[in-house]
Amino acid sequence: MITDPVTATGFAVLQAAGLLAVAPLVRTSIAKMKARLQNRQGPPLLQGYRDLIKLLRKEVVRSETASWVYAAGPVVYFATAVTATTFVPVLVAAAPLEAAGGILVLVGTLALGRFALAAAALDTGSPFGGMGASREMTIAAIAEPALLLGLFAAALAAGSLNLGELVRTLLSRGQSYHPSELLSLAGLFIVLIAETGRIPVDNPATHLELTMIHEAMVLEYAGPDLALVEWASAVKELLFITLLIDLFVPIGIATVVTPGSIAVAAAAWMAKVFVVSVAVTLTESTNAKLRLFRVPELLAISLGLGFLALTFRFL
Amino acid sequence: MLLSAALIAHVVAIVIAVALVRRPAACRIATFGGAAFASALIIASAVQALASGGVDHRVLATHAATGFGLSLTIDGLAAWFLLIQGAVALPVAIYSIPYMRHAVPPARTPVVGIAFNVLLASVTLVLVSGEVVGFVFAWEVMSLATTALVASEHEHPANRRAAYLYLAMSHVGTGCVIAAFLTLASGAGSLAFSDMLTGHVVTGSTRTAVFVLFAVGFGVKAGLLPVHVWLPEAHPAAPSSISAFMSGVLVKTGIYGIVRFGVVGLGVPDPSWGLAFLLLGSLTAILGVLYALAQQDLKRLLAYSTIENAGIIVIGLGAAMMASSAGRPDLAAFGLTASLLHALNHAVFKGLLFLSAGSVVMATGSRDIESFGGLLRRMPWTGACFLVGALAISGIPPLNGFTSEWLTFQSLLLNFSSVPGLVRLNFPVGAALLALTSALAAACYVKAFGATFLAQPRSTAATQAHDAPWCMVMPQAALALACVGLGLFPGPALGALHRVVGALPGVAGASPVGAGAFTMTAGSPAIDVVRPLIVGLALLGALAVARALTWRGRSPVRRTATWGCGGALSAEAEYTGTAFSKPLIMIFGAVYRPTREVAALAHGSPYFPHAVRYRARIEPTFERFLYAPLTRTVLWLAERMKVLQAGSLHAYLAYILALGVGLLIWLGGTR
Repeated sequence: MITDPVTATGFAVLQAAGLLAVAPLVRTSIAKMKARLQNRQGPPLLQGYRDLIKLLRKEVVRSETASWVYAAGPVVYFATAVTATTFVPVLVAAAPLEAAGGILVLVGTLALGRFALAAAALDTGSPFGGMGASREMTIAAIAEPALLLGLFAAALAAGSLNLGELVRTLLSRGQSYHPSELLSLAGLFIVLIAETGRIPVDNPATHLELTMIHEAMVLEYAGPDLALVEWASAVKELLFITLLIDLFVPIGIATVVTPGSIAVAAAAWMAKVFVVSVAVTLTESTNAKLRLFRVPELLAISLGLGFLALTFRFL
Repeated sequence: MLLSAALIAHVVAIVIAVALVRRPAACRIATFGGAAFASALIIASAVQALASGGVDHRVLATHAATGFGLSLTIDGLAAWFLLIQGAVALPVAIYSIPYMRHAVPPARTPVVGIAFNVLLASVTLVLVSGEVVGFVFAWEVMSLATTALVASEHEHPANRRAAYLYLAMSHVGTGCVIAAFLTLASGAGSLAFSDMLTGHVVTGSTRTAVFVLFAVGFGVKAGLLPVHVWLPEAHPAAPSSISAFMSGVLVKTGIYGIVRFGVVGLGVPDPSWGLAFLLLGSLTAILGVLYALAQQDLKRLLAYSTIENAGIIVIGLGAAMMASSAGRPDLAAFGLTASLLHALNHAVFKGLLFLSAGSVVMATGSRDIESFGGLLRRMPWTGACFLVGALAISGIPPLNGFTSEWLTFQSLLLNFSSVPGLVRLNFPVGAALLALTSALAAACYVKAFGATFLAQPRSTAATQAHDAPWCMVMPQAALALACVGLGLFPGPALGALHRVVGALPGVAGASPVGAGAFTMTAGSPAIDVVRPLIVGLALLGALAVARALTWRGRSPVRRTATWGCGGALSAEAEYTGTAFSKPLIMIFGAVYRPTREVAALAHGSPYFPHAVRYRARIEPTFERFLYAPLTRTVLWLAERMKVLQAGSLHAYLAYILALGVGLLIWLGGTR
């Protein structure tokens, strides 16, 4: 654990900046792979960055009926996504701000971002915003316990709710290949799909009112506000992928900070992110979007898997 | 003694009110000002007692022949709840000075002011009574004073019904409590709590029976399922500042009773009690928040959310009891700490939310969420305070709701690691249910805040609303600051709780909550560490970055109308609270059993309706399937028993004679 505040702050800034830099690329590459699977060309890999730059340069346009809550929504959402990155180990087997908290703080921080964005969506008075906010909060309400139960199953096995500590314990013990790990992995993968708004839960590419969830919530945003929302969503997605990697295949992560080990860790992390992205792409491409009222059933499966993982592990 | 000074202040306030009964304005200032002064004294005495850590025991009077003595005891637990009382009562009293002018008719102000002072004094006495007689007397006065306040607008039949329901439920509770006290007292041969609560007065099934009686009796006040039904009726009926006090403090007196008499007063708890409490707490929390989500009345929503939080408190108590019965007093101390801290936190943010709701109700003359909207621009301070309360109650870091929910999570997970056997699988399930509760609470408060304060007003009253006077905003601001302060710096509160819990029977010993000024740790070796201040600073830093990315210097933001699909967008197109909670109502349809009725109103041909009437309601499960049959049975029995009450003096004398003879035979038989 890093106790020196200056080192911790520097590490936090570096890691957050790194994830912010990579996140748009991961998003675009998923879109690209999806397009290739549909025999389309797809966007160039740098399209995510171009979009962000274009949006950030535009003027700020906001609804005349909206209050400061609407303006604060994207800022808070972005800030929570960035803050959340500092509780998760990425390349080094320690999270920059792991002294501040573990799993519960991570989930709580993301909940703050969701709260801010959902409230902001209600502010414009557009029925789309309200619809999106309502659906997002509904799905989050069921995804959050599934997420926590899956995380608890992994954390209780390692004896710590702190992600840095957890990864270090996993590394020193070695992979156990206990069947319960597979169960919680499956459960958490469903949560990943739900939390990042992917098919079969949500469709990031749609703008049809009946099918939108997250997109409906942020429909009114434009320019720099939209850039913040898009960027934060990308970071959140990368964060969930990293979380999955940390909990189930931490091998390759640097335990000592040398240029060599960091380079190996970066390569390993990139490769693992790619593998999970492929899994996300395949899930998106081979499934149809579920009706909204079927989504709770999917999340209930995730909850059930989390519970089974716990039962198998501790029976 | 500060406490006596506070009680004297209440008496003086009441005397002045009686003297000034014809001048409502002066009366209002005297009674609520006096109550504020007394509450400040209560806070001071609580802080003093918590800081010293000692037990202040005073005998007021003794009866030589029986050895019975009226006594007051301020120990750590009493001091902690006195702190909760003062922390809510002080802002509530200040807020009430201007608020009561609008809330109750002038002629009734003295009565309301007096009842409020009586209520405050009786709560204090409940918390510090050292024996049964004083406790039950104060408990009863407390219920009666509350009934008077709930019925303060008794012109409305709904309010009269709420007051009656409250009175009836309270007395069922008091009956259970008295039965439990008498059982304990006859076992101990004394009415003093110090003799009754030694832990081995009663044993076996009697002990369990006493525990159940305490759980039901105090559970009524605490709002636990299924004896919660009075709560969502009484809270909206009372003036909002009174609702704040009821939710913040009155409900906590039930928790106080459960902790003092049920959890730590009967010796090492039976394992089944803890399990029952864990399940009861989870069920109360889930159903409380689900019903809260479905409400369209802002104050009813807050009332149901109080039930949810009582459930969260009881989850912690259940975990504590299970740890205690598994021989882990350190973990029991942890669970108790979580519960007691949540009791304080809930008092702070629910007090805040009810005060903000009171300002909204005062400004719009309605409690219906659907007729609000756009109030943030018209009532900026109230809206900001409500937002802080909403975030805190949703368990979002780094505010205070997160602190105590974190502790409850830790308590469940630590138990999982140390309690043997299959029964421990209940703990992660309880934790998942707690996570569901807090996520649903977030949805509920996004709805409450969004539908009330955001977008455009949906009624003329909401359009013309304006913020409350400073005297009503300041108490809210103070409570909002307390939410932030308790969240960022949990150290002092945890330090005080460390001593409070450490002195309780059965859990004496080191509490495993690390109570540094900025740190909370759980377990030894620690399974989790939280430093809320760092989380707060990290968020601030990230906010600054996000702000910098969108910073446009002085160039103005372009304002344009919200896109309305090609037409002008009116307030009627907004997503209402009903619409917002609709998906969750459908998903949890098994709980709500929603019904809806859509009728096309037509003059002539049914094909050309001029309006459509839509009515949706949810099944009041407990009222219909539990209370309705119960009420029918009681009425049926009363009808049959009416025969006994014939109005004939001879018959009554005959009953007394028969009872006397019967008692003599029974007593003779037992000799």
